[in-house]
Amino acid sequence: MLASLEWLKQYVDINIPADELVDKITRVGLEVETVTKLGEGLEGVLTGKVTHIERHPNSDHLWVCMMDYGQGIVQILTGAQNVHQDDMVPVAVVGSRLPNGMKLKKAKMRGLDSFGMLCSAEELGIDSKLLLPEQRNGIFILPPDTPIGVDIKEVLGLNDTVIDIDLTANRADCFSIIGLAREIAAVTGCELKMPALTVKEAAGGSAADMAAIKIEAADLCKRFAVRVLKNIKIGPSPDWMQKRMRACGVRPISNVVDVTNYVMLELGQPMHAYDYDKVADHTLIVRRAANGEKLVTLDEQERILDESMITIADTKHAVGLGGVMGGLETEVTDATVNVMLEAATFNGPSIRRTSRALGLRSEASGRFERGVDTVLTHNALNRAANLLEEMGACETVAGIVEAYPEPVQPTVINVAPAAINNRIGITISKEEMIATLTSLQFAVAEEGGNLLITVPSWRNDVTCDADISEEIARIHGLDHIQSHLPVLGVTQGRQFVIEDVKDSIQDYMAGVGMSEVMTYSFINPSAFDKLQLPADDSRRQAIELLNPITDEFKVMRTTMAASLLNAAAYNLARQQSKAAVFEVGRIYLPKQLPLKEFPEERSVLCAVISGKCNDLSWCTCRDNVDFYDIKGVAEGLLAKLQFTAYTLVPYTVPYLHPGKSCAIEHNGKIIGWFGEVHPLVQEAFGLGQEAYLLELEVEPLVEAATAVPQYQHLPKYPSMSRDIAVVVPASVTNAELERVIREHAGELLQDVRVFDIYTGKQVAEGCKSMAFNLTYQAADRTLTDAEVDASMKKVIAEVGEAYKAKLRD
Amino acid sequence: MREELLSLKEQALSELAEVSSLDALKDLRVKYLGKKGPMTEILRGMGKLPAEERPKIGQIVNEIKSTLESAINEKTVVLEQKALEEKLANEKVDITLPGRQPKEGHLHPITLTMREIKKIFMRMGFDVMEGPEIENDYFNFEALNLPKDHPARDMQDTFYITDEYLLRTHTSPVQARTMQAQKPDTPVRVIVPGTVYRCDYDATHSPMFHQVEGLVVDKNISLADLKGTLELFLKEMFGSSVKVRLRPSYFPFTEPSAEVDISCVICGGHGCRVCKNSGWLEILGSGMVHPNVLRMSGYDPDKMSGFAFGMGVERIAMLKYGIDDLRLFFENDLRFIRQFK
Repeated sequence: MLASLEWLKQYVDINIPADELVDKITRVGLEVETVTKLGEGLEGVLTGKVTHIERHPNSDHLWVCMMDYGQGIVQILTGAQNVHQDDMVPVAVVGSRLPNGMKLKKAKMRGLDSFGMLCSAEELGIDSKLLLPEQRNGIFILPPDTPIGVDIKEVLGLNDTVIDIDLTANRADCFSIIGLAREIAAVTGCELKMPALTVKEAAGGSAADMAAIKIEAADLCKRFAVRVLKNIKIGPSPDWMQKRMRACGVRPISNVVDVTNYVMLELGQPMHAYDYDKVADHTLIVRRAANGEKLVTLDEQERILDESMITIADTKHAVGLGGVMGGLETEVTDATVNVMLEAATFNGPSIRRTSRALGLRSEASGRFERGVDTVLTHNALNRAANLLEEMGACETVAGIVEAYPEPVQPTVINVAPAAINNRIGITISKEEMIATLTSLQFAVAEEGGNLLITVPSWRNDVTCDADISEEIARIHGLDHIQSHLPVLGVTQGRQFVIEDVKDSIQDYMAGVGMSEVMTYSFINPSAFDKLQLPADDSRRQAIELLNPITDEFKVMRTTMAASLLNAAAYNLARQQSKAAVFEVGRIYLPKQLPLKEFPEERSVLCAVISGKCNDLSWCTCRDNVDFYDIKGVAEGLLAKLQFTAYTLVPYTVPYLHPGKSCAIEHNGKIIGWFGEVHPLVQEAFGLGQEAYLLELEVEPLVEAATAVPQYQHLPKYPSMSRDIAVVVPASVTNAELERVIREHAGELLQDVRVFDIYTGKQVAEGCKSMAFNLTYQAADRTLTDAEVDASMKKVIAEVGEAYKAKLRD
Repeated sequence: MREELLSLKEQALSELAEVSSLDALKDLRVKYLGKKGPMTEILRGMGKLPAEERPKIGQIVNEIKSTLESAINEKTVVLEQKALEEKLANEKVDITLPGRQPKEGHLHPITLTMREIKKIFMRMGFDVMEGPEIENDYFNFEALNLPKDHPARDMQDTFYITDEYLLRTHTSPVQARTMQAQKPDTPVRVIVPGTVYRCDYDATHSPMFHQVEGLVVDKNISLADLKGTLELFLKEMFGSSVKVRLRPSYFPFTEPSAEVDISCVICGGHGCRVCKNSGWLEILGSGMVHPNVLRMSGYDPDKMSGFAFGMGVERIAMLKYGIDDLRLFFENDLRFIRQFK
């Protein structure tokens, strides 16, 4: 909300500097966003009159003007085409400054000197949206009766200061100049003055005889009042009014409309003016719109209404959307002779729904949404009539016609001073409380030890004792509250066990060289195509947002693969030789769509690695990471979490390479998978090289991860170790060989490890040599060579038998 | 014979003085003290000597042997020392070559900040609660004293899924969830870290961000307790010299409500670009739990009172680490993430 300091000063004596005022009102809950000095940087620009104008002899578009600016006559050249003899315009002579930082110097254009420039509104720092259409283009032509040689800031209201307040939703009462002045008066102790509300009613007659009002939807409109104005003279509103409106960000249009806006800004009551003679039977009816009813609003758009919307109708049809926008048909125009001026109290939630549904949010709807004081209707009508009478723009008919079915009763709150002190945690005397509340115009009576507080009509936000405590606390000053720590029992703060496990996972992953990323939970549904998910894949059943910002953030992810592949691709595209990224995040799995119950939010680890094993180093080893790197990460993590109850099984994941991937199975359920990213997926995500992905659910790991490891006795007797190398067909897997070895080596075998795989010249085509190291150990004795040799002999025989394996020398 | 022996000794000692390598020293020992050496020979020829001469000569031989022995041993130590020095001198590495560091990964600054916030509050006895990110209208708004069409709903641009379900706009719904999961009027001391969503996307707004919510409900909890708790937290987080100020504000679920500012951690409160020359930084929102919120969750506001607060984790991380662009958190550039330890 924008407030003109000059306007505020009319109603409260502000005798402190602007920054002190800002600090004071900030500390009572009015957050000041900005303080703008209008005309800042504008210096020495004066009003001047064009005493002579002629074309530049050497140019088709330049004009040579002789300007009288009060201190002499200068020659100024301009390229603007809207300047005429005797026009009053802003003149920036040599030495003056403009808000854009420019300092005027003598210039030469096509052989002639120019001693300054004539200014447009924009060059003076005025937002052209706030000007009448004829003021926007070219040089700003001032009214002909403007005096010569006056500082332009004075003429255009640019020596004002504008305070922009980020008004909280509860303070409807401050959404006006008077409301702010009232708050400032309470805070500074200065006197509050009220605007003139006297109406001459010179037209005589009786409004009641000329107009009728009816409220048919009392739930949507508490009060509806009109005045009738005769002999309207439409014209521009006075300069002082235009200046104030511009300062508050509202564009002046013409006197009657300006007065309705001016009164809204000043008192906080939105108003509307109807062309009296176009309202059928001069009757206004407040009712719900019929479903499908049409209305062309002031902005010339046809609106389709529904029964939730407040409509103002005459006896024939809708003439306006109450509180949101008027109808075009009854608009006040240059031809208007008589006017019906409306001030009403509409239902906030209804206004909010309507203005949202139609995309029509205005200064008026914003005020109704927060709540408008019903007492304001008469004040606003009287203030508007007073202003128009003062301007000589109308004669007012006597009386106000209104419907006010159920007068609003003031809120009375009974509160114990001790309850207020307990809530704030201080000791404020009853007397101070009464003084504070009185300064805010609450009426306070004492009843027993309690305070009986009558809330002023404009404070619709104060409804209970907690609200009273806020009033006391904010005026007392939150800075003056002595802080202390709550007295609570000693306890140990904890997080859920799964959160501990997530922390362990993050720490392990970071420890093995992976970096954590943070990706958005919503993804582009095209990711499902990029991931090669079949049409019937359940992951395509994703929860969709009704109002996504872009398609990029449209559906809640059902897999984290796309997010992490994107993060990897992003880094590989930025000269990173290796991307090793992970995230522990959530996936969102609906039980049905559209959503009828809470979906499952499942915690998942996803990791992607791609690129060089080591960043460029003087002691490099292997080149690029491969399948066994991601497998190592998975195995290492599971081992770290003491999770051993799993097997690796073949499984089809559409976005993984079918020959280089597998799933992690636990208790018959697949809980994760890893492998090389499918070449088509790799291409779709723009990775440009092989990448390896791991996805793993967190929940199944929790039990094992939180087990306390139990000590096993250290071996007392030495182990013995033997190597064998066998040549087998290339298709034989490590797991198969290991199984055969374990089966036949006997119970002394402690461990088998493959330590070399060789294909090449020394083994036959289609075969490979695999070397294993076998460790034997007994708990109760030192083994003999004979025992171990016997076992080895059996192993060699069985392996040979099973795979036509040959012992390699 | 005596002269012979003494000259042998002189000869051996002068040769020893010339020896400069351990190998030569070994040869020298063999030459003079070995089985085929002159000493052995002399001892062997002692039988020819008269009986009274024998002990004398024997004694001289033994003296010479032990003199030579210890001289050689001394020399050995010297030469070994010299050899080691030479060896070490030749084994120099280029200490300026980079070391083989195990490649460590990095946690995201938001995770680091979140963990720190959690740690501080857990030390104060707060439990850490979690809640769903896909919420319903009731928990996200209504149970927090935000009925339908309340103008304060505009403070939070909401992503909707259906009329009923939405992405939570704050972690506050977990306040109501926590209280409703307890027996009425059970004391509560929790924080709620989490991901939240708002329909706003520009240089200073991310549609997804993180919050930590706090809630304390007990008997006799006051605004002064809230102030004390937040001062303690903020001093732990930003250092003991940080100043804290409360400013009245408005949240529908608290009454009274206050915005909490800290003295600018960049300029120390003198005024800079980050604090827009005010010397203060808005850091969190807070207030006394609104009686309606307590009542809706089955608590009796006449018996129990509480305070609640909520902070943006990105904001805190930016101030803590001096990060000047919110978008960096979600771009996931490894060159950014690697900077945080």
